[in-house]
Amino acid sequence: MEDRLRDIQSITDAALSRLDDQDLLTELLERTRAIFQADTAAVLRLDYGSGHLVAAAASGLEEEVRQGVRIPVGRGFAGRIAAEHQPVILDRVDHSTVLNPILLAKGIRTLMGVPLIAGGKVIGVLHVGSLTQRQFTAEDLELLQMAADRAASALGSIMARDDRTAAEALQRSLLPSALPAALSAEMAVRYVPGKGKVGGDWYDVFTLPSGQLCVVIGDVTGSGLAAAVIMGRMRSALRAYALETTDPEDVLARLDRKMQHFEPGALATVLYAVFDPGLDRVHMCSAGHLPPVIVSPGRAAELAEIPSGLLIGASPRARRQVATLEITPGAALCFYTDGLIERRGRLIDEGLGQLCKLVTAGPPEAVCAAVMAALVGSETAADDIALLMLRCRPEGSQP
Amino acid sequence: MIADDQIRWEGDRAVITMPAEIDITSADEIRQALRAAASCGAEVLVVDMSATTFCDSAGVQAIVDAYNLVDAYNRSAATPTQLRLVATGVRRIMTLVGIDQLMPVYSTLEAALTGGRD
Repeated sequence: MEDRLRDIQSITDAALSRLDDQDLLTELLERTRAIFQADTAAVLRLDYGSGHLVAAAASGLEEEVRQGVRIPVGRGFAGRIAAEHQPVILDRVDHSTVLNPILLAKGIRTLMGVPLIAGGKVIGVLHVGSLTQRQFTAEDLELLQMAADRAASALGSIMARDDRTAAEALQRSLLPSALPAALSAEMAVRYVPGKGKVGGDWYDVFTLPSGQLCVVIGDVTGSGLAAAVIMGRMRSALRAYALETTDPEDVLARLDRKMQHFEPGALATVLYAVFDPGLDRVHMCSAGHLPPVIVSPGRAAELAEIPSGLLIGASPRARRQVATLEITPGAALCFYTDGLIERRGRLIDEGLGQLCKLVTAGPPEAVCAAVMAALVGSETAADDIALLMLRCRPEGSQP
Repeated sequence: MIADDQIRWEGDRAVITMPAEIDITSADEIRQALRAAASCGAEVLVVDMSATTFCDSAGVQAIVDAYNLVDAYNRSAATPTQLRLVATGVRRIMTLVGIDQLMPVYSTLEAALTGGRD
């Protein structure tokens, strides 16, 4: 009884919280292994992309981590725990019950494992193993479950932090900050992640060999690393198709076909605009994206009249149309994602109307600042916000 | 919240009522409800968003999923299901993303049930 109390204290020890998450996992595994007098204790984390469990921390058989052991969910000992969300005790370890080659090679005879659960989802597996044949009891399982609760919260925060870092790096590497040189246009941009979490919004600006200027703005449904990865793929694919055909509708149709084949289930809105080399006309096509705001000097801003088209990823029978608009010298266009104007308790038309009142043909940097100040202010955005202002230089002015 | 008795029958036509706000926190539950409704075998299935005032991209995704599920169901069903949508407050967003290409959008439930003009 006293022993058990000591074991529980060893796992729930508040001092562990002073460690960073990775060190906490390692120390927790050391202690868990000591409590059970086991020969190995390990945490595997679930990699959502591949559906594999990957060794994240280990005590006893550290080579599991060093060799990057991977176990498909549903197969083997750990895979079964993750798939069934249930603890498993195994007193016969061989090729039919265990996949992990290191456990087999080292001669582990008995295994006990539990799922790591965070937010109702399995995020990994914790298991202990022994070189000798022994019986793990219901009490042992209960104790391992306590260690698992602690490990799950540390692993959960490691995974969230890794995803956030990767998604931010991806966003940073993909969003252009400057216009291609020697263009008679000025640009200003803003990108704000929603609730501190990067998502699938993006914009892109590039020129084609013909001298045409292309602007893309899009929004992949979802958030976090998964959305950011899809966004990166869409951005590259769209650039490739832009080199093959100058028809914006064709570019979006190709992008849609690619997405439906390679990223089934993913949805995105995209607006693609191709400006003639003289910047006097723009050809735009929308795949479910909000229309840009267009404003000529001295005039009121209005929503560009673009036929709405089906968003990307919804159906192979999507229809979209290109709209061609004349641009007067000095006119500006404002491209944005829904996070800028959508708010609870207010219809979307109100947000669009407010945006039109704010957009002018003034310097793009100043207009961006004014729009963000008025529509976002000091709130934390619930959703990602991307905003791109492009002004075609007034006639006669020097680039 | 969507209640357990999510599908309401009007003869051989089924109606599924959407909540006031649809976002990432409620989209999963809505998706489940629409999934169940998609194969209910009704001649007409009306997704009623007339009480919905906020629908973000997660909500749009749930509607697109419903379309694809009904589409898949119809490929093997003896009697296909016609999917229809009722939207007032979120009608603009539904047409902007092109949902009206996937299913007819009505402004009243009556019109959607009869398939008549609004």
